[in-house]
Amino acid sequence: MDARPHILIVDDSDAVTGALRVLFEETGHDVSVAASLTDAVGVAAARAVDVMLLDLTLPDGDGLSALTTMRARAIEPRVTAALTGHAEPEIAARCTAAGCRAVLVKPVPIAELLARVREWTRPRDP
Amino acid sequence: MHPVDSSTTAEHRVVQLEEALNEAAQVNAELQSRDALKTQFLANISHDLRTPLTAIITHAEILRDGILGPLSDRQRDSVASIIGGGRQLLAAVGEILTYARGAANQLTVSPSEFHIAAVVAQVSALNEPLIAKKGLSLRVDVASDIPSLVADREQVTHVVSNLLGNAIAFTPAGGRVWVTVLSTRDAQSQHVQVEVGDTGIGIAPEHHDLVFREFAQVDPSPSRRHHGTGLGLTIARRLVELNGGRIWLESRLGEGSRFFFALPVGDMR
Repeated sequence: MDARPHILIVDDSDAVTGALRVLFEETGHDVSVAASLTDAVGVAAARAVDVMLLDLTLPDGDGLSALTTMRARAIEPRVTAALTGHAEPEIAARCTAAGCRAVLVKPVPIAELLARVREWTRPRDP
Repeated sequence: MHPVDSSTTAEHRVVQLEEALNEAAQVNAELQSRDALKTQFLANISHDLRTPLTAIITHAEILRDGILGPLSDRQRDSVASIIGGGRQLLAAVGEILTYARGAANQLTVSPSEFHIAAVVAQVSALNEPLIAKKGLSLRVDVASDIPSLVADREQVTHVVSNLLGNAIAFTPAGGRVWVTVLSTRDAQSQHVQVEVGDTGIGIAPEHHDLVFREFAQVDPSPSRRHHGTGLGLTIARRLVELNGGRIWLESRLGEGSRFFFALPVGDMR
């Protein structure tokens, strides 16, 4: 069994996912990348996801609907955090209502992003 | 001269007027649709600028924090400058996007109850390094009897941040910058009034109106000493007005500036 936490980055920009892939791979995580809702659901179906970092605007629809689909198929990640361009209260409220643990504004300072992901992937106390 | 049938003339004038009105309505509709296109363009371009910037800043932070291996001090300083420049650019892009949303009436107010002193303290703390770097002094005075506000906290923070940022940018080394919060009351209502003042270069009275106008800069030349989108105060005014308040300034060239805004004290019910 792989002990490295599995991070799924969902964003349609190669530039953004490329940077986050380097960050998480170099800090001891397994990384999957999806550029669409369909791809994201496919990744989660193939292997359990510990943390999903989810962009809200994807070519095939609203990012949050990926979460809804995954929940319906019982393949929901342990933790989902929304990554958005803007921290407007109504967007934040929508993300929280959909089940996101956090709403982070891009570009999230990497120290903060790493700290949050490590907190979410810390092994639970026995 | 031929005699004129007055009823025919009147009918003819009515037709002419109707045609002119139709034409004006068409031109107006055309202008509105172009304005909407422009606004949408600004929103799209802002998004397209933010995405690569996000990647640049993230990569630079990965380097700075030594995740790909240790850097020398000079390398780290250089990378830190990339991050600083990137964040500055991001702020300018954010400003354009906020402006575009404001112009399209897409800005909404999410009111909550908060104390202005907390906002002023937060914005002052964020600007402390810049104030020290420029050799300025900052004084914050908040009267003890200030009631809490019911307004959009994020938007009010944006306004204070914009005014303080301008005060710092337009005040030469050794100058003073201050933020003063008062409670004012007239027959109808009570207001919280915030003043952001400086001993900087000041603004000539004939330019007072201009500074709140979109895209207007007192010195628009490419060689100007102070850069920016020229949208900061337009946005500030829009945000203050969205929250039911007003914004104004007192300034003369060479004698510093005092920007004020006042927000009504609301009721949570």
